[in-house]
Amino acid sequence: MISFASFPSTSEASASYAQARHPPEVEEELGMDLDEDDFDEGVQRLTVPGEPITSSHAFMRGHGTFVDNEEVIASVAGTVERVNKLITVRAVRSRYNPEVGDLVVGRITEVQPRRWKVDANSRQDAVLMLSSVNLPGGVQRRKLESDELQMRTFFEEGDLLVAEVQAFFSDGAMSLHTRSLRYGKLRNGQLVSVPPILIRRLKSHFVALPCGVDLILGLNGYIWVSKHVKESEQEGEEGFDAEAVYSNRNDVIDDATRIAISRVSNIIKVLAAHFVPLTDTVLLEAYEWVVDQESHVKDLLHDEFGEHLVASLGVGIRQ
Amino acid sequence: MPRPPSPSIPEKEFVYGALKQSLRLDGRAMLEMRTPTLTFGPELGWVECSLGKTRVLAQIDGKMVKPPPERPLEGMITIHSELSSMASNEYELGRPSDQEVTITRMLDKVLRRSDAVDKESLCVLAGQRVWHIRLTIHVLSDSGNMLDCACLAGIVALKHFRRPEVEVVGDEITIHHPSERAPMPLSMHHTPYCFTFAFFPDPSTPPLLDPSHLEETLSAGLLSVALNAQRELCVVQKAGGVPLAPEDVLRIMDVAVQKAKELDKIVESALQDDWAGRNVEVR
Amino acid sequence: MSSRVEILNDGGFRSDGRKQYELRDITIDLSQQGTADGSAIITHGLTQVMVTVFGPREAKMRSQTLHDRAVLNVEMSVAPFSTGERRKRSRADRRILELSAAIESTFEPVVQTSLYPRSQIDIYIHVLQQDGGLLQACINATTLALITAGVPLLDFVCAVSGGVHSTEPLLDLTTLEENDLPNLTVAVMPRTRKVTLVTMETRLHVERFRDIFELACEAGQTIHKEMKRAVKDRTVALVGAMDAGAKHPSGDPDRDLTMEDR
Repeated sequence: MISFASFPSTSEASASYAQARHPPEVEEELGMDLDEDDFDEGVQRLTVPGEPITSSHAFMRGHGTFVDNEEVIASVAGTVERVNKLITVRAVRSRYNPEVGDLVVGRITEVQPRRWKVDANSRQDAVLMLSSVNLPGGVQRRKLESDELQMRTFFEEGDLLVAEVQAFFSDGAMSLHTRSLRYGKLRNGQLVSVPPILIRRLKSHFVALPCGVDLILGLNGYIWVSKHVKESEQEGEEGFDAEAVYSNRNDVIDDATRIAISRVSNIIKVLAAHFVPLTDTVLLEAYEWVVDQESHVKDLLHDEFGEHLVASLGVGIRQ
Repeated sequence: MPRPPSPSIPEKEFVYGALKQSLRLDGRAMLEMRTPTLTFGPELGWVECSLGKTRVLAQIDGKMVKPPPERPLEGMITIHSELSSMASNEYELGRPSDQEVTITRMLDKVLRRSDAVDKESLCVLAGQRVWHIRLTIHVLSDSGNMLDCACLAGIVALKHFRRPEVEVVGDEITIHHPSERAPMPLSMHHTPYCFTFAFFPDPSTPPLLDPSHLEETLSAGLLSVALNAQRELCVVQKAGGVPLAPEDVLRIMDVAVQKAKELDKIVESALQDDWAGRNVEVR
Repeated sequence: MSSRVEILNDGGFRSDGRKQYELRDITIDLSQQGTADGSAIITHGLTQVMVTVFGPREAKMRSQTLHDRAVLNVEMSVAPFSTGERRKRSRADRRILELSAAIESTFEPVVQTSLYPRSQIDIYIHVLQQDGGLLQACINATTLALITAGVPLLDFVCAVSGGVHSTEPLLDLTTLEENDLPNLTVAVMPRTRKVTLVTMETRLHVERFRDIFELACEAGQTIHKEMKRAVKDRTVALVGAMDAGAKHPSGDPDRDLTMEDR
């Protein structure tokens, strides 16, 4: 039998390449729960493309798998999940996979007849139909031809918006809607982009931090960090003010709020770099810790400071 | 980029269905080549090769040049290939398509880099004068497997070409006109022939040799092998396409070895016939 | 003409001290590069290639989309400083076009493109250093980058180069060896052991070809182990980080202090 050794070679000619490179203790750690063949609760099974998971007779294939030769085989690298007989593999990092009802933050890329194209970090641009937005003059109003002609006054290329996934087209593209007063154009803040898997489904994706900063955690990994808007100042059902909803002008933002916004954005970037799932509690705790340190906003961008932050939360990977 | 109209769906299904039963639309066996027809022109090194409706014209001329300083002892060979819209409406002017790149690179590998021609024998006076052989390939019409046809035309043209005899006295070079002294053939190391096999998405469909245009369009992968009658492989090229078992690849090599021997006989006899009919005057 | 360096000496060692079947040191870096969806840097000895993958994403040109599957787009650039002789290769260099076309058609049947109709997957290959085995490094790095981007693949594609010195097969050639020996590159899919790519450009007897071809298929499995390990390491690290975050003591999902209603 021929064996392939690495360069530089080890004393044993038969040693496999991998063994030559990794000290034995790493070896053991790597082997952990990877060879587990059963689906015990709580044991996470990781897999790589092309790795057989189980027989296709006993189980059904879901996302991230395919069937070949009566075996369910993984097609992405990630964690194996099982719901009854359905086996899926969730990629550890990928583009956003939309589901109906998800809250997303997007950016208009194109204005087309009766629809907008929205970049939402998915495999195709999402579609926002003119009929799926609230127009000035009452929610239930009919769409007129004049609305079609002035679509750019509502959203134009480059605008950011928050919306909900409404449905899918046959080719998998998603359709959005903004038929709620909480949805619509975004102002007074900045966008941070993180891997979508880090945004978990929460009770509410609108988070108000006590430091006067509002967060919109889009499930597509886009996060909008903006100045807090008081509940009472939000436009009510009756006083739907098209001017205000589709306005492109930012409010007056004081320095303290601006600093808070940048600080929150930087915290999100640091946490995302350490692959920490973002929830309101984690963010709040991180913000408090950062404020306690009495540091400057830009200190967060130093690797060391970021690592301290993550360590203080007791989460994340040590690098 | 406007795509060429692909075969309609029922047509596609029909061809796939037929191939699965080892039947080809033109009635050939799966591993049967269309018999090449070689037509020699009035000049030496002017060959038209046709495989069915695929026709390629190869033409050679040679001239004396000063060699580049890094290779003073070797002659030069350059290949120009012309794929115009004349061959098929799939080819357009402008940026070369992927297929065009593949074909030009393959021609280069099969005819030039495989050392078919002894380049050192093309040297007349070291560092001063060498032969520059220029091979021009015109594709006249493409009805599948243009690569094999072009390679065959090219290699036959190289074998058919004769260069004028040269005499060197001191630093003096005399080129003898073909009417004074018989021109010399190029000295060839070997003659590689190229064979292209097509594979189909359905794994139970056997591979086929020398695909027609329709078969080529419908195939899910091509494997080109260039080799000579002495069982030496020169180029193997399978760039992607359907995955194959290693044994299948080796089986194809064996088929190609057989085919190369057969083709070599055809080419040799065609060249001999032509040479016999040619009257070279030497005074 | 090349200097007469001994390719394989009497002791059975190659010019860089390797044995006949020994592969060069492989390092794999799967860390995030910029805004790319997936990226990988692979080093085979002194050959280094970086690949970044964007997508599946909305196609830039709508006319190039396909209604039933995603389009792969491979672009390759070779750094002028990657070889000893500094030379700028244009993007339209035929050799580069051929390589990128080969890589594209290698991955087309492997990527499950039918899951992403009307999308485009962009693969950008940057050759940073060259010392033989360029195609092999490009293919391996592309596989890894596609995996890190979460693009579904039927299997890994593992490539390895080989050559023959008189009658002795050698694996994983350096530039020095590539210039002197007949050489080939083979890409295999380790699960089914099928071959997706074979290229050879130099004269070699059929029997010799058989030897090195079979050997290279075998060596692909070894490379696969190494690539699999790198991918698993990364998955373990990332999943570990996420779990730690999720198990965070105060991360009680029912706590609703700062959330607004509705």
